[in-house]
Amino acid sequence: MNAPIGAGRFIGQRLPRTEDARLLTGRGLFTDDVVLAGMLHVAFVRSPIARGRIVSIDAIAAGGLPGVHAILTASDLAVLRIDMLNFFLAVPDIAIGPLASGRVAYVGDPVAMVIAADRYLAEDAAGLVAVEYAEEIPTVTISDAKRTGADPVHAGTESNEAAAMGDPEDDAIEAVLAAAPHLVSASFTHQRISQSPMEARGVVAARRGGELTVYISCQSPQLVARYLAQAFGLPPANIRVIAKDVGGSFGLKSIPWREEVAVIAAGMLLGCPLKWTEDRLENLTASNHAREQELTLRVGFDAEGRMLACHADYGINNGAYPHGADANIAVMMFLWAAYKMPQFSFLARGWYTNTPGLGAYRGPWAIETQVREVLLDMAARQIGIDPIELRRRNLITKADQPCTTPLGIVLEDITPAECLDKLLEAVDVAAFRAEQAAARAQGRHLGLGVAAYIEPTAGSTGIAVLATDVAQIRIEPTGRVTAILSTHSQGHGTQTTMAQVIAETLGVGFDAVSVFEDDSSRGGFGAGASGSRQAVAGGGAAIRASAILVDKVTRIAAHLLNANPAYVRIEDGMVHVAGVAEMTRSLREIAEIAYGEPDRLPPGMEPGLEAQYRYRPPPITFTSAAHACIVEVDTETGFVSIKRWVCAEDCGVMINPAVVEGQIAGGLAQAIGAVLLEDMAYDANGNPTTATYKDYLLPAISDVPDFEYIHASTRSKAEGGFRGVGEGGAIIGPPTLINAIADALSPFGARCLDTPLTPSRILDLIAGRTSAKRHEAAGPAAEKATMPPPPAPPAAPPSPAKAAVDGLWKMVLATPMGPQEMTGRFETDGETLRGRLDSAQGAQDFQGKVSGTHLKWEMKVTKPVSITLKYDIQIDGDKLTGKVKMGFFGTAKVTGVRA
Amino acid sequence: MKPAPFDYVAPTTIDAACALLAEAGGGALVLAGGQTLMPLLALRMSQPFIVVDINRIDALKGVTRVEGGTRIGPVTRQNDIITDTILAEALPGLVTATQHVGHHQTRDRGTVGGSIAFGEPAAELPAAAVALGATIEARSIRGTRRIAADALYLGPYATALEPDELVTAIHFPDWPAGTITLFREVARRPGDFALVGLIGAFAVTGGRIARVGIAWFGMGPTPIRARQAEAALRGQPAAGLDARGVAALAVADTAPFDDHHATAEYRRTVGERIFSRALAEASVLF
Repeated sequence: MNAPIGAGRFIGQRLPRTEDARLLTGRGLFTDDVVLAGMLHVAFVRSPIARGRIVSIDAIAAGGLPGVHAILTASDLAVLRIDMLNFFLAVPDIAIGPLASGRVAYVGDPVAMVIAADRYLAEDAAGLVAVEYAEEIPTVTISDAKRTGADPVHAGTESNEAAAMGDPEDDAIEAVLAAAPHLVSASFTHQRISQSPMEARGVVAARRGGELTVYISCQSPQLVARYLAQAFGLPPANIRVIAKDVGGSFGLKSIPWREEVAVIAAGMLLGCPLKWTEDRLENLTASNHAREQELTLRVGFDAEGRMLACHADYGINNGAYPHGADANIAVMMFLWAAYKMPQFSFLARGWYTNTPGLGAYRGPWAIETQVREVLLDMAARQIGIDPIELRRRNLITKADQPCTTPLGIVLEDITPAECLDKLLEAVDVAAFRAEQAAARAQGRHLGLGVAAYIEPTAGSTGIAVLATDVAQIRIEPTGRVTAILSTHSQGHGTQTTMAQVIAETLGVGFDAVSVFEDDSSRGGFGAGASGSRQAVAGGGAAIRASAILVDKVTRIAAHLLNANPAYVRIEDGMVHVAGVAEMTRSLREIAEIAYGEPDRLPPGMEPGLEAQYRYRPPPITFTSAAHACIVEVDTETGFVSIKRWVCAEDCGVMINPAVVEGQIAGGLAQAIGAVLLEDMAYDANGNPTTATYKDYLLPAISDVPDFEYIHASTRSKAEGGFRGVGEGGAIIGPPTLINAIADALSPFGARCLDTPLTPSRILDLIAGRTSAKRHEAAGPAAEKATMPPPPAPPAAPPSPAKAAVDGLWKMVLATPMGPQEMTGRFETDGETLRGRLDSAQGAQDFQGKVSGTHLKWEMKVTKPVSITLKYDIQIDGDKLTGKVKMGFFGTAKVTGVRA
Repeated sequence: MKPAPFDYVAPTTIDAACALLAEAGGGALVLAGGQTLMPLLALRMSQPFIVVDINRIDALKGVTRVEGGTRIGPVTRQNDIITDTILAEALPGLVTATQHVGHHQTRDRGTVGGSIAFGEPAAELPAAAVALGATIEARSIRGTRRIAADALYLGPYATALEPDELVTAIHFPDWPAGTITLFREVARRPGDFALVGLIGAFAVTGGRIARVGIAWFGMGPTPIRARQAEAALRGQPAAGLDARGVAALAVADTAPFDDHHATAEYRRTVGERIFSRALAEASVLF
């Protein structure tokens, strides 16, 4: 393999991970390893039904068991002010409590918590808590949720629509699609996935000495501390969150959720340390889930296979209590971002159901790559073009950049086309086709799948909690280096990779650097392991903070040795002056002076060798890749065997290629699971049918092949030239494998639209049968369903319109980043509307038209992006409803009441 | 692991174990390898008053030759079956079936008797016992009896064993030298319970199939003996078998079901295919 671009003494080296010896010999410190004096244990009483009213809770028998200290319900926790927050650390539209209050909304909904001397007793008592429910018919699937007429999942709402963006159709695009020489349409469904971290959730909470100490399995102790400070209204200084080792999260642990918050609240109420360790049954059935989606694509191509236009109709199951009510707009942002797609419209909606809430999962928007790449292969077959050639004609190449995607994303250095070229140097397609033909003649079915994509990493715009990361680095008086970072390892090995970056930049030995990221009280805010950001944002912060120390050491050495700073170099912990060997000093000597003999420092210099840098990476740093996979499908049994898998990826400068490859491999293993095995299934009554790992099948080592890696390493614009690589395998893996299977099954005319592709389903595809699950999924006809009813013009102009409209209105705009509050002032003058909107982004005047109580106006905004907003509002008494068309971002709902 | 409370005893003799089971009056469960029982206890799906651990009863362990067959102690570990020299000679089909039970790690602890007595319909060893004509020796304070494997399985996880009975041996009859055993299993992942599987033993004498035993697993509420296929094969010339016809007959005796992992239709279709393929492959050896 070629030496990676940007390789240095440590950056680019396959160093063994510092943490591995500890983790592999059972010396890790996970949340469940924490034992505090006087600690009690929690077990939850959970709803056995998907939807209903809690008639009564009888805890008398349970409370009488010896060793049971307390049994708490929502009303007991209500004495504390608790604002559960969403992923954006905002209070969600639908109020969420730690425990079910009055109603249950999914099987597993926590109804009560038992606190006892040990977990055995707590479980015994939980089994004795008698809860009577008035059961109701649940809403389970997206199709159920779309059905009008039934009571919505959440009281006080008009429908199950949790979030919506976009428009049902766009006349201009419909016209292009109607006239396109080739129209390729397909409806895809994706099953529900359990994130299934090896370590399930867990928390130990204790309030002692005025300080709330929380050990929790999480993606960022700093983010949890901030969440708790906001949720409980406590000063942040009194909250200390510790997470030493975490056994995977994959998005599930991005924020503390109902059970963790309940345990922390109960600990504060009872004044003693509490522990709850989620067991696997709870993790599979009561933790949040991901990925249950459906997507219908219609794409028009010209005669040569160039794309003309697309409409996408998308739905995602939000469950009852999502980490953020979400239409998953990122699916639409990245669906065509790497391709030349001239026109694109979409409708994206999220739906509440009586199932566990939606959480993040490695590449939460990944279905965009799945459906696009699978549809491109279908298009290639339909048009009669080689699928690789079809991609070449449509991918954005280096020569096409810089350019801006239809949804406003600026592309400067994506390389999917170049990755595809590199991939095809390693995969001899012509030779494979010959082998495939020979195999088919013998009744064996081989297939080749190829996919390309780009992945947004380390975003620093739009989502405030993900904007920046911080590195606090000290060269100690001993000469050793202590680094406190806002990164967090879930198994990522950041203690190794960040030490590589720091050792490289400082000029010290790798072993001289200790990285700490486990305790919110050690360092400043950061989102930790989220959004494939740690190498880019954490690495960039580490380089900048190290550079400050290099500069300081250089100035001190130059001053002490009376040398020109330009000739001072730090190498392997020694400070040299070029050409004057006798002037060499150890970093320790310099550090001892910096801390202990400030009089010897340059005049006015602050003593010590401590630096901090908070780094904001570029708005988005893109990683690109192309993958190929070769499979054999046993058409007698429907089993898929993966013969070869090659990845050509460009994640910029690699800090540690072994860690990069581990990230890709882990994502690909999850991709294989999603395509072939995993399916978190619910029956029509909302009961989970895959409650253990006997039925929820994760990929085992025997299901995952050895992967081949090709690294392109185009330096990014971020500090260090790094690009994120945390989620990519889980994004590009599914279509690569699906396309290979579809290629193998092409003699049968099979279209692989639904996952998982179980042996049973593959035999159905071969036989041309429609599998049972397919019938449940809404077809394109059913998807023509409803946007929130567009404000119809009033039948007859109501007379006192001015009085009905004029005045102050409190309004909420449901944006992709969460609800945005505004105050509107309207003043009508005949058919003219004048007004002003006031929000956290500032105030702006507008002018528009009014017809009765129907208002329309347009206004240009520049933040967060430059777009024209088109408001269309209907006033009904003291209520206001309508929508805002936000350019390429589609349409958002707006609601309001008279202020 | 947080089971409901239970009493635990670990007797060292069969008599003591039987006395405990009798005394418990149906409230006891026997712990052998624990590979099924422990997860059930952990999930509180099983809440016995007393767990009788038979791992310390040496008389329940090991493989011995007896008149006309082989006796396997129920607490013999599955991995010990795989490496046993007597079984390699006498019951190679049982060895092959055992290699498909769970994973190496679970087979180190899991026992033959535990698997046979639990009666998981998609498990390998109950079907092997049925196909190979095993009898199960069960003891209680009321006495000892032998139950044909065929008659042992009543439904999913339901057997003819009484709550006070302890399996004390599994007797496998000898099959003639040169008996061919077929084993095929289709499982989602290696080590999983079968979507569909079969084990069949074929003794060919003088060019004819003199003795045959075929059983399915994963194809119904219990291991299912393919009686029609057996009858069609018995006494027939081994050459020129109609593998497809026999496979269709074999499937005719099954009663598969739809579940999360596969449809009944899948099980029937694939069962017939693997049976037909296996029989065609094996017939060259007859």
